[in-house]
Amino acid sequence: MMPRSSATNARPLLPQGAELATPPSRLKVMASLFAALCLTLLPWADELRWLLPDFTLMVLLYWCIHAPRLAGLGIAFMLGIVTDVSQGLLLGLDALAYCAAAFVALSVHKRLEGFDPPRQTMQIAPLLLGKEALVLTLGMVFGRTVADWRYMAAGLVAVSLWLPLAMLLDHLTGRPALDAEPA
Amino acid sequence: MLHTPQAPLFVREMGLPTRFSLYVLACLALLAMDARYSALAWLRGGLNTALYPMQQILAMPWEWSQEVSGFFVAHGELKRDNERLRAERDRMRIAQQDRATLLSENNTLRQLLALPARADSVPHVAEIVQTLPSPFSRKVIINRGLLQGLQAGWPVVDATGLVGQVTRSDPLTSEVTLLTDNDQGAPVQSLRNGLRLIVSGTGSDRLLEVRFLDMHADIHEGDLLYTSGIDGTYPAGIPVAQVVRTEPPRNTPFARAYCRPLGGVGRYRHVVVLKPATRRP
Repeated sequence: MMPRSSATNARPLLPQGAELATPPSRLKVMASLFAALCLTLLPWADELRWLLPDFTLMVLLYWCIHAPRLAGLGIAFMLGIVTDVSQGLLLGLDALAYCAAAFVALSVHKRLEGFDPPRQTMQIAPLLLGKEALVLTLGMVFGRTVADWRYMAAGLVAVSLWLPLAMLLDHLTGRPALDAEPA
Repeated sequence: MLHTPQAPLFVREMGLPTRFSLYVLACLALLAMDARYSALAWLRGGLNTALYPMQQILAMPWEWSQEVSGFFVAHGELKRDNERLRAERDRMRIAQQDRATLLSENNTLRQLLALPARADSVPHVAEIVQTLPSPFSRKVIINRGLLQGLQAGWPVVDATGLVGQVTRSDPLTSEVTLLTDNDQGAPVQSLRNGLRLIVSGTGSDRLLEVRFLDMHADIHEGDLLYTSGIDGTYPAGIPVAQVVRTEPPRNTPFARAYCRPLGGVGRYRHVVVLKPATRRP
């Protein structure tokens, strides 16, 4: 792993070692967002659709927290439009939900960045669940139809997958694990 | 600042809340335009056409795994299948002969009664390439579109019955709204007594319902419902559903009947789109 010079358990004020060598680049952000989008476009089984977490949103939120200048509202909007088209939803439904989630994440990204992934999960959970609720509500209002509320479960699955995803992306960008070895 | 090598020293841009409210306005405008007027069909069609090849590529590994597992089918199973299919073909041939005689008889009778001849529709075979995972509707995408001459409004059937209706046609693909969609309905006729009804979807793949049924309507468990053809969209005589149970009026003045769809809604990979024949007077 990475060398930790400090003898204490405290987090260094500035990123150390590998993190400085591999900062999140535009290429990394775009590539991971594209990979997440492809993951949602896979031909998943019909019966499991309501459990399928929104990988695109999860990766987007990760970058909103850790690289706010590379992933902002514009990218959230475009990803939302693509998701809407690929899922046959009303145009702007997911775009609005993504923008709202990105807005909240961007406005508190400094605080969220200070948490390690397990604690982040608790902070991110309302965002992931709120997005599902927002999509279902807006779809009902604008589409004048009824919604299948089972789809809220996708938010719960997304919450439970946040930890592995954050750790994977941390690993890719070489962020030091915050809860690493206590001296 | 952390992780922000591109950060300018002085920020010259709108604040986050301002940008956010602009995006929200844009989204709401898009939503309203898409929901109330179909003004964005070109945008959706273009993006769909761009996404389609990507989805095909992503689905490839799955298709290959299907092919590989299909390759290792035991010899005995193939033989059994072959025998079964031969027997079925013979049965079909007999039924076909029967149908030919019935058709000619029907035509003669219609001529005698001076009724217009029954219009036959032209079938287009298509494959379901994607299901749309939406909490609001039941829709699938088929791999035939405007370029193959498909148009919105055409009925979609399979070997066992009615499946749905084409609701949007893009250049390469079309969107089919299944019969089980909440907003979808089909005019039907009971095979037993010719009672005319409208069957609607419930959002579940295994259940259709007849809403607003007369309290004394003569409809029983087991009745077969076929399209009546009076709407001009679905040709007459396509099997649609079988009544599973009826429910007496509760809270409302109307009874309800629940039916099981006869077509393989959400089961098969291949469907047939019927090009409606131009009606001769």
